[in-house]
Formats: sequence, C-alpha cells, structure tokens
Amino acid sequence: MPVRRRVALAVRHNTAIIMTSQFDLAQSPRASGGSCSVEAQESEALIVRVLIVEDEQRIAEIVTAALRKAEFTVDVVATAADGAAALATIPYDVAILDLGLPDGDGLDVLAAARAKGRSVPVLILTARDAIEDRVLGLDAGADDYLVKPFATAELVARVKALLRRPGGALGAVLKAGNVTLDTMGRNVTVDDENILLSRREVAVLEHLMRRLGRVAPRDVLEEKLYGIEEEVDSNAVPVHVHHLRRKLIECNATVEIHTVRGIGYLLAEPKL
Amino acid sequence: MRVFRPQSLQLQLTFRLGLLFLAATGIAVGALLYETSRVADELGEENLIERAEALARFVVKGPSGDTVLNPPEDMAAFYASPTQTSVFAIRDGRGEVIAASGAEIETLVQGRPLAGDEPRFFRLESFGPARQDYYGLDLKVESAGGPLSVSVAQSGETDALLHAMLREFVFDVAWIIPIFVAATLLVAILAIRTGLRPLRQVSAQAAKIDPGAISVRLPIQNLPSEVIPLVEAVNRAFDRLEQGFAVQRRFTADAAHELRTPLTIITGALDGIEGDGELAKLRKDVARMNRLVDQLLRVARLDSVALDVSSDIDLAAIASEAVEYLAPLAISQERSIALVGADRPVLVKGNRHAVEDALRNLIENAIAHTPPHTEILVEVTNDGKVSIADQGGGVRPEDRKRLFDRFWRAKGSPGTGAGLGLAIVKETMKAHGGEVVVDDAPGGGALFTLLFPHPAETPHP
Repeated sequence: MPVRRRVALAVRHNTAIIMTSQFDLAQSPRASGGSCSVEAQESEALIVRVLIVEDEQRIAEIVTAALRKAEFTVDVVATAADGAAALATIPYDVAILDLGLPDGDGLDVLAAARAKGRSVPVLILTARDAIEDRVLGLDAGADDYLVKPFATAELVARVKALLRRPGGALGAVLKAGNVTLDTMGRNVTVDDENILLSRREVAVLEHLMRRLGRVAPRDVLEEKLYGIEEEVDSNAVPVHVHHLRRKLIECNATVEIHTVRGIGYLLAEPKL
Repeated sequence: MRVFRPQSLQLQLTFRLGLLFLAATGIAVGALLYETSRVADELGEENLIERAEALARFVVKGPSGDTVLNPPEDMAAFYASPTQTSVFAIRDGRGEVIAASGAEIETLVQGRPLAGDEPRFFRLESFGPARQDYYGLDLKVESAGGPLSVSVAQSGETDALLHAMLREFVFDVAWIIPIFVAATLLVAILAIRTGLRPLRQVSAQAAKIDPGAISVRLPIQNLPSEVIPLVEAVNRAFDRLEQGFAVQRRFTADAAHELRTPLTIITGALDGIEGDGELAKLRKDVARMNRLVDQLLRVARLDSVALDVSSDIDLAAIASEAVEYLAPLAISQERSIALVGADRPVLVKGNRHAVEDALRNLIENAIAHTPPHTEILVEVTNDGKVSIADQGGGVRPEDRKRLFDRFWRAKGSPGTGAGLGLAIVKETMKAHGGEVVVDDAPGGGALFTLLFPHPAETPHP
C-alpha cells in the first residue's frame, strides 16, 4: 500500500525528500548475473495537484473524473479571477486553462501567473484552434495546448508529460509500464527488479521516459548524451538504443522502444 | 435593327465624336453653300443695277433735241451678242422707248409701267433666242437726257456662275474639311485615351483586390470628378464586404466553440465509461464526428480567410514536426513511419500551419490505408517537394481526378472520413501556387506529392 503524503509547500520540497530516500537506495548493493536482479523497492506515491479553470461544467466534470482516475488531486474553478487567485496562492503542479471564460481569457490568467513568477506548467484548452490562437497561447508562455474536442486519455497523457519534465512533480521518479527510473539515484527497475544499464543507456531511457508516447528526436538525444561541443559518432545513439532495447526485452519490460526512421525514437507503453 | 453599341467607353466616345464631327461638317458646308448662293444672288442684283446705271450714263440729248443712247463700243458689243444673254430697254419719262437691245425686249417693256423709286425685279419666262428664263429689274435713273426707266435682264444661266464658284470652293477649300475633321478626331481620341488613363489605373488597382487583400481601397487622387462618386461607392461596397468577411470569421470561431464543446463532453463522457461492444462503436462514431466537424471548420476557414503564404517556411522542419506528431498514432496502430531528406532545410514561401495541416492530413490517410507492419515513407526533396508513400492498395487511375473534390469518397472505402481532407490539401496547395498530385508508389500503394513553386535558395551546410 503506497504511502500518500500531502504536499503543502513547493514541489521542490517534495523532490528533496525523495532525493534523500533514493540516495539510500543507491547505496544498496546491486545484484549480479545478467542485467536483471531481484530486489524489491518501496515506491512512494506523490500528491500531484492540478488546477482546472473551465467554465463549462460538464467538461470540467469529465476532465476532473479522468484526472482523479489517474490519481491526481484536482481543483476546479470557473472564472478567470478565481483561477488567477488559486494560482497565486496554491503551488499547483499543473494548470489546465480554458481560453474562453465568462470574465476574461485563460491567457490573462496565464499572463498574471507568469508575471508573479509562477513557473507552473500550463496546458491550454481551446475550441478556437485558429492558427493565431495557437501561436498566441504558446507566446504567452503556455507549455502545451489541446484543441477541443479532445480525448480524455490524450489530456491525461499531456498532463503527465508536463509533470515528467525535469523539476516537474513526476520528474524525479519516472514510470512507464513496469519500468521505473529514479533520476537522482540513476537506477532503473523493471517490476521492482534492478536492471543494469550503462550511464548513457540510463540517460537515453530517462529522456525517452520523459517523452513517453512521443517522439524523442535523435539530435536531442545526442545533445543529452554528449553535449553540443562533443564530436559524436553518428552511430552512437542507435547503438545505445539497440543495447537498451535488448536489455528491456530481456527483463520483460512492458514498454517498447520504436524507431521513427529519420527522426528519432519513441517509448510506448503497453496497450491496455 | 440593331444599333452599333461598342462596350468600350473609349470606342463609344470616339464613335459619338465622329458622328458629331460629321454633323458639324455637314452644317458648316451647308452654311457655306447657302452663304455662297446668297452672295451670288446679291452679286447678281448689284450687277443688274450697275448695268442699268452704266447704260443711263450714256444716254444723252441728241443734236435734234431727242434723247438717244450713245454707248461705247465694248458696251454695244456686249449687248449685241447673238446669244442675247443680257438684254435692256430704256424708256424716257413719258414711256417712249429710247433704246433697246432687241425688238423682243422693246415690245415687252412697252406694256410695263415705268420704274418707281425702288428697283422692281421681274422674271421673264421663255424669252430670248434660246427661250430661257431671264431675271431683270426696272430702275429709275436720272441721266443727262432726263429721268429714265431702265429695264435690264440677264438670262437664268447666272446659275452657271454659282456652279463655277462652288466648284472652285470644293476644289480649293472644301477638301481640307475631311482632313481637318480626321485630325481633330485623332486629337480627340488621344485626349480621350489620356483622360481615361486614371480609370485604367484604378482598374488595375481593383484587379488586385481578392479575399486575401480585402483591405485595399481604390485611390481617388487624379480621378475625373465624374468618376469619383462611382469609385467612392465601390469603396464603400468593399467596406461592407470586409465587414461581411469579419462576420464570417467570427461565425467560424463561434461555430467552432459551439460545436466542439458538446462534442468534447460526449467524447470525454464516452471515454469515462468502462465497457466494449456498443460503447466502442459509439466512441468510433464520435471520433468520426469530431473529425468531420474539424474538417468542415477548416474548409470554412480556407474559404473565408485567405491564407497568408508570404513567410519563409522550412519544409524539412514542417515534415519533421508532422511525422513526430503522428508517429505515436502510427505506432499505436502497428504501422511505422520514416522521414527522409529532412537533414537540411528546404525553404519555400508559405503558411507553416496550413502546410503542416495538409501534411498531417496526408500522413493520417497513409496510416489508414497502409497495412499493419508496413512503413509510411515521407520524403522531402530540395526542389520543394514533399511526398508521402504508403504500401496500401493505391489510388485507381479513374479516381485520381475526383479524389480531391469535396465530399468525394472512393467506392468501397472504409468510410471514416467525410471526404474533405484531400480537398483541404488541394485548396492549401492552390493558395501556395503549387499543387498536390497522386501517383503509384514504387512498391505499390499511393504516393501523394506536395509540389511547391520556386523553392528559395537553400543554404548549404
């Protein structure tokens, strides 16, 4: 049974605690014999707080239901004023903003939050998918946008992707299928069994997990592995991916690395 | 009867001016002729009076006390001409004939009253040796031999003088009139052309107005004042049209909001209910409806708002983004997707979002048509081409023309789309001055290619 802890302060505080606990784990001996080992690991669930600013009650209900199912804590407000006030007082991990609100615009809420220095990841919901609006939303400092109508599964996936960013609420311990990657301890487990990966394989996997379900471009992977300055053999990334893929299969990981030829790689969760 | 009515204002003006000049020439020539004949008549009258007075000057008292005419030789010869074109008779105050050019006139005047204070004109019919008409007058003249009544007449052949004068006039003067008219007409045409130039300039300006440049207004400077009201009215019509466009744009945005909110609710609610069977079918139906609404709105937008295709866009970057965006969909449906040729920029003029939409449309189609475990190949080439090849059944040659029509769907197609996607692609490419073509892929399957005109200079790495 996972221990639920409520985070009253900043998310940073949260990660700090986890870091300490993972540090202990990193000290623990790793198993030998193949890349898979048998060592159970206590995982801790986080409280992730999501704010929804949406005036359409039915949409708010549906989105709330979907996010609660994904075990997020959800607050809903219906006006721009309430949204701005909520963002100013509570350290949300993600905010979902509808653009058309009765007393203003979601972009105003966003601008107010950014002006106060809130770096909370923001996902814009809009029925107005006119090109200008998209550009406007991203210029105003939104991190992602979804055009109505959207599938709730897509919404949850986008929210998780925002949370998996470095510094995001789910950015410290990444999970995909039965694979867990602790970004502080740099260890990877499959079904709670440690799996032996090289430093660069872990780095590749980390980036793929942060972009779970989306394409991780190869040139970005190269930069993550070697930095911009370093001379990279054009085969370096494919070789690391190849090894990583083999090890994941050996350890019966449910996630799979797909190649998008000419672009990069994609880590896909098993289909339900 | 059909009246000749040229469409061009210039031709109309020229035509009417030509008619006007013809009429003016007619009037001018007529007036000249009338004046000439009047002058000729006057000349005739004066001529007769002069002759009468000349005759009277040579009437003298004879040695025997009677009054006689003693003309000089040339005068005598003139009246003695056998043709008798000019005749005279002179009577004294008592009515006695003093002298006459011939017996006929002498007899004739004896029955006539003496001349009064004013010259009296008369006409003789069938007179003289040639039995002609004669015109003449009786004039009372004082002479050395006392008061006389002189009658002189001239044969009607005086018209000959008139004809001679006319002939002279036509040959010496009148030939210049058509040339003058032609020259005037030429000047008039040039003046019309110059005068109409501002109109042509306004027309050129008006030709530039299309849904994309609706804010253009026709300039009023340099226009003839008669045309300004028309141009102003047209400009006001453009104002109203622009407002209409704005309304339509607003309508599109409103329709998007109104339709999509309920659709979002239905989609989300269906997602939230656990279960398969009917529910799975309903989810598919709603997904199809979502797609249809989305495409309808895109078409409405393409129709109502002209695309701004003036930016420099990188086809390689757009293709990368589209493939990246749709790779998860392809992979979730057990297809793979690859991109070739995107390692260097391919710059063209265009609208980034519209091109990306078009590309996504084609890639989505390819994902739907390629069999599982096959690869979709997206290729960008330096000459401004993006092609998408799948390994499905391809497009039948007879369908290729209508494939891009709105609401057209191939017979026996799986029927998930509304038949708008390819129409959107076609319109987008048309707006870019390019086109979309369909062909067979090398290994079978469909090959769609977006062709952009004039790729910009590609920087070499």
